[in-house]
Amino acid sequence: MINSDGQLYTIEGFAAALIMVITAFLVVNATSVYTAGDTHINDMQLEVLGTDALKMMDVASNSTSKTPLQQIIEADPVNGSRFNTEFSNSLHQGTFQNPNTIHYNATFSCRNNDNSTANNPISYSRNLTGGEHTVRATKWVIVDKQVCDSAGPQNRAVLVEVLLWRD
Amino acid sequence: MARLNDDAQWIVLMGFIVSFSFFFLALVINQSTVVGQTTAESVIEFPKNDIRDVREVIGESVKRPNLNIVRTDIEALSMSRKSAVVWYENDTGTNPTIIEIHYNNGVTSYNETWTLP
Repeated sequence: MINSDGQLYTIEGFAAALIMVITAFLVVNATSVYTAGDTHINDMQLEVLGTDALKMMDVASNSTSKTPLQQIIEADPVNGSRFNTEFSNSLHQGTFQNPNTIHYNATFSCRNNDNSTANNPISYSRNLTGGEHTVRATKWVIVDKQVCDSAGPQNRAVLVEVLLWRD
Repeated sequence: MARLNDDAQWIVLMGFIVSFSFFFLALVINQSTVVGQTTAESVIEFPKNDIRDVREVIGESVKRPNLNIVRTDIEALSMSRKSAVVWYENDTGTNPTIIEIHYNNGVTSYNETWTLP
């Protein structure tokens, strides 16, 4: 017959083991563990940063002047160097040194007469090789310009699209 | 000296085991609800900035003389570049101006009747 004398010791051992396991669980859980799902946090921050930067570039200095983004696209050819300067300044408004870890590739889309869309380059800080993990920020702008195959300069809505990534 | 009565120890032991297995089961079920959807992911998915932006450009577009061309631009570019159906119409015949806006990107739909005084 089985000797059942040691059961209280077994219970005691269980209780002690559980206390240790739960303590270890709480300690490990309290520190932040970076899992694959957490990459969305970086994506979200980058997207918000890009959207804010574009929004700031679409604010006019007064009610009669055009916004910097409008001026950049209406220039002929498109003023990519000004976009690069202003957009990079907005992106790298950090207090930390060595700030140029965010790269972008900016284009704008317009509509052709047959309702297809064309994508035109504005500027970029580094070539896209296809391996980057990019997020996209967009901004609508109404420009007074001959874009796509419109007959002459007229008010047209274009979509500024920026792909952002970190390296 | 009275001896400790140890008759029910197997029941106590089994009670311990069963209750703790329930505890861990509840822990697993509790965690399973958040698998696959994080807060940051929800923020990315919800087109808050897209809707704000399209409202802004729509409000801007109704002031332009060639509204029909600009509206076709917005609707065509929304479809091809943003995968969103945007439809809007403004009624300037009456005072105040009314703009009816519809936005749908397949996940989120947004409808608004915007009244400009």
